[in-house]
Amino acid sequence: MSTVSFFLLVLGGGIAGTIGAMLGLGGGVFLIPFLVLVFDLPMHQAIATSILAVIATSSAGAAMNVERQTVNIRLGMVLEIATVIGAIAGGVTANLLSGAVLSRIFATLLLVVSFTMIWRLKHSGDTAPASTDGAFRSSYKDEATGTVVPYSAKRVPGVLLVSLIAGNISGLLGVGGGIFKVPAMHIISGIPIKAATATSNFMIGVTAAASAFIYFAHGHLNPMIVSPAVLGVLGGSFVGIRINRRIKGSFLTWIFAVVLLLVSLRMYWR
Amino acid sequence: MSAETLTPEHKSDIDRVVEHWVGRVLRTGVWSSAGLMIVGLLLAWFSAGSIQPPSENPAPGQVLRNMLSGSFDPVTLIFAGLLLLMLTPFVRVLTAAVGFAAEKDTPFVIVALVVFAMLLAELLFSLR
Repeated sequence: MSTVSFFLLVLGGGIAGTIGAMLGLGGGVFLIPFLVLVFDLPMHQAIATSILAVIATSSAGAAMNVERQTVNIRLGMVLEIATVIGAIAGGVTANLLSGAVLSRIFATLLLVVSFTMIWRLKHSGDTAPASTDGAFRSSYKDEATGTVVPYSAKRVPGVLLVSLIAGNISGLLGVGGGIFKVPAMHIISGIPIKAATATSNFMIGVTAAASAFIYFAHGHLNPMIVSPAVLGVLGGSFVGIRINRRIKGSFLTWIFAVVLLLVSLRMYWR
Repeated sequence: MSAETLTPEHKSDIDRVVEHWVGRVLRTGVWSSAGLMIVGLLLAWFSAGSIQPPSENPAPGQVLRNMLSGSFDPVTLIFAGLLLLMLTPFVRVLTAAVGFAAEKDTPFVIVALVVFAMLLAELLFSLR
């Protein structure tokens, strides 16, 4: 590998991580198209690389959120049973499918992500008081208002089902799956967006680890590609979080929703 | 104690300790892994002038043997970093299990152990 491609990987990972964190998506949604379309990496290797980047960003983010007490560890670990089963099945399935098929499924995922981003934009301000008579009662401190927000989880089996699907998509396509879990936890279980986001992110590292060794065993982890890309995404995600705190724009979300739509088309007719 | 937590102030002391240790495990795992990868990449770059991927991925056992025998070649270091990253969630789940056990919260000890058993099964089946 040339020095140029090495720095291209770090830079590409960095940009993918920055945009991902700015939009509240993982790095994978942008990293995989970059690796496949710009770097011409086989789809399976791109997914494996993304899985490792997802473990890194999720773990680093979860370390912060756990200490800020926004993560519902008990709920997260119950849902992990579902995401891990889904992810193992997804990882095994992905290694039976061709890169071309995976690429088309990924293109479909991007389409869904693009629409979900717009949905989230319209619901990010949902602050209706959460019910506290369900299971997994907990609370977090809203740093913006300084108040303690108690909540609980209703209809947990519904979220377990969505977690199973999200885990499956994670193992199959190398993304975190938070884009599905967060709306589900909010709509089905009535968990405030902030706690849902932190708890979902907390689960993602374990979910990704559940398929990482499958890709590793199939020889899809190229250390010289994975390591610069992971370092890039990790660095980029910290930059993204910082920018995210300053920019609160729906404009940005709309731009990237359209970008994802175009990338989706490009991945489909590759 | 299980689902009775209502406000951060009312969280049990052990709960806070569990959160502290889970956070610590995650942070240590990610940054040690990143450190190993950076050192490995720098070594590869300075020793060869460019970074060549290995023709074949070393097996995890080989990586461990290399490190134990004091052979810290660049690829071994990078691989050790990647393996450490992949194993960090395993340690995180075990840490939570130990924490729940300290709280005598048996249902959640079982939940954590089920998650850990599935991860371990995936690891062992993949590397068999």
